[in-house]
Amino acid sequence: MALSVSDLKDKFRNPGAAELELIARYAMLPESGQRERAFEAFASTGLPHRRMEAWKWTDFKANLKSVEASSRGAQCAPLPAADQAVIEFSAGSVSLPTSLPNGVKLHERKDAQALGDAEEVPLGAMTAALAGRVGGLDTLIIEVTETATTPLHIVAKGDRDETNFTRVSVIVRPGAHLDLVESHVGGAGFSSFLIEIGMQDGGSFNRTVLQHGSADEAQAITAVVNLGDKSEYTQTALAFGAKVARLETRLTHQESGSHAELNGAYLCAKGFHADFTSHVRHGAPSSVTRQVTKGAVLDGGTGVFQGKFHVPRTIGQHTDADMQHQALLLEDGAEVFAKPELEIYADDVECAHGNTSGALDPNQLFYMRQRGIPEAQARALLTEAFIAEALETAHESVRDALTDAARSFLMESVR
Amino acid sequence: MLKLDQLSATVGEDDEAKTIINGLSLEVPAGEVHAIMGPNGAGKSTLSYVLTGRGGYEVTGGSALLEGEDLLEMDPEERAAKGLFLSFQYPVEIPGVPVMTFVRTAMNAQRSARGEEEISAPDFIKRSRELGKQLNLTPEMLKRPLNVGFSGGEKKRLEIFQMMMLEPRFAILDETDSGLDIDALRTVADGVNALRDPARGMLVITHYQRLLDHIKPDKVHVLAGGKIIKTGGPELALRLEKEGYDGVLGEAA
Ligand SMILES: Nc1ncnc2c1ncn2[C@@H]1O[C@H](COP(=O)(O)OP(=O)(O)OP(=O)(O)O)[C@@H](O)[C@H]1O
Ligand SMILES: [Mg+2]
Repeated sequence: MALSVSDLKDKFRNPGAAELELIARYAMLPESGQRERAFEAFASTGLPHRRMEAWKWTDFKANLKSVEASSRGAQCAPLPAADQAVIEFSAGSVSLPTSLPNGVKLHERKDAQALGDAEEVPLGAMTAALAGRVGGLDTLIIEVTETATTPLHIVAKGDRDETNFTRVSVIVRPGAHLDLVESHVGGAGFSSFLIEIGMQDGGSFNRTVLQHGSADEAQAITAVVNLGDKSEYTQTALAFGAKVARLETRLTHQESGSHAELNGAYLCAKGFHADFTSHVRHGAPSSVTRQVTKGAVLDGGTGVFQGKFHVPRTIGQHTDADMQHQALLLEDGAEVFAKPELEIYADDVECAHGNTSGALDPNQLFYMRQRGIPEAQARALLTEAFIAEALETAHESVRDALTDAARSFLMESVR
Repeated sequence: MLKLDQLSATVGEDDEAKTIINGLSLEVPAGEVHAIMGPNGAGKSTLSYVLTGRGGYEVTGGSALLEGEDLLEMDPEERAAKGLFLSFQYPVEIPGVPVMTFVRTAMNAQRSARGEEEISAPDFIKRSRELGKQLNLTPEMLKRPLNVGFSGGEKKRLEIFQMMMLEPRFAILDETDSGLDIDALRTVADGVNALRDPARGMLVITHYQRLLDHIKPDKVHVLAGGKIIKTGGPELALRLEKEGYDGVLGEAA
């Protein structure tokens, strides 16, 4: 028995105007048990808000009073793809490339797909329920069967749209490899991207993400990653934020000997909010996680880092995990909230974390100015150098473009 | 060229303010190299910071002119663009910024402030290779982040490298000789001598006669208690080496 719209309204406590619009969208999509389960998971919290521990610094409900068209098109150009394959997702359509990297197959699913642990990722659940385009694609499955020698690009881009909800699922077959480059460049009042990545034995995956929304948009990018035996996963993200933006990664080491690197940098100007949240479960022995997150925030900007390593008793033995978060408060009025958490129940592990935030070193600034470098340029240069470490793992074809994006932002914004 | 008149400066805020430079007068004409010697804590580094515009100091009296222009009115980067250079007693590490990038950024910033054209990449590389060779700095070292992990002596040589690249009109060398081995001292002195020019002035702060053997200053000043209390020729440095500050200053007092 499918739920009626009024049943659904009851499931939300106090739905706001935005949630009512999301319910109306749900009602327009074809009925499906999978969709219903995902939407119910979303309904149990509604748009995440500050009274939820995991969302206390990133309140989508307060920032999304209603679903409105963005006043802008894309906020920046996507990362350069040259003649490489690009998949573009916009509000109403999906454009698929005519040729794909070797070893990559696309499968278009028109019906909603199940999402495991949907309750843990409310916006992921919402996306799983609402990604369907009426009469068209619901979930795009990317299957990788060998070592793809060129990267695949995904561009999520609106044009003064209300929403852009997209769901992608990647399966990396044993021993296969893919480089994925994602550009989330805004243009929709509310965009949400859900990507599930299943890494089979010995597979490897390099994911590079650029996020840049506008100051009137809400953006969520949610990744659910499962690592098989001896697989390798590398993620590098540069976020400029939006009115509210969250890049969330839930990663599980499912079998032994896998290796994950989760690196990110956020640069937030006035009116911009960027949140990096990650949850890494060492659900298997002898796995390695390395995480470096760096940020720099200007007056009126907000950066959030929430990182958690969870190492269960007995099954997480010989875990080797390190989490670092370092933030620069470039001006008075800049805000950074950080919550690094190690939850370790196994006894034979090596886990470490570090968390600092502070200002630029006045001695370094003076030294640079003494050499003739104007103060703003000195600050921009020091900040660029500070975040550079977090971007080193980006795919080589776009690494320079990422650092250039950071540099031009800093040159323009830092005083 | 550099003219300091009755310069006074304090460090620290409000009630904590402490006078370190206390009515200091000094003139270095173009083309001359002067040495400043003085006991630890006399105010030598403070003087170099006040002249280059570091924060945390307040000028409470007097004036400091470079070629007739009021230095104290300018931001540190403006002073640098006017040609004022400080070789730091303690060079600062700049993580993530390679030496070459740093020097090129500085050079072009100064040039653009002066309305000059930027240096071309090949010219820059050629010059830095030549000077690197002179100062025993390998191309590999010049690619490393500035001063990060460099030895004490290497940092001092990097200061001189920057000075020679930037070709300042007036250079202050604050204990550039400390921490240098015998050969490096020679190399650094050769670098300083190569920059000697009728249009350029230099102020060399040092504790040791040895550097002055190589550099041969036109004048030697003794700074104590925040002012110049004695000035003489190169022979003054020799006397200080022999008799110590107590001996020489006891007579001055
Ligand atoms: N920020 C500060 N707060 C308090 N006192 C200071 C500060 N900076 C310098 N001083 C004091 O000012 C005095 C002069 O210091 P300065 O570094 O100029 O000496 P110097 O002549 O360069 O000595 P040295 O030969 O050891 O390098 C010292 O007594 C020092 O402790
Ligand atoms: Mg000193």
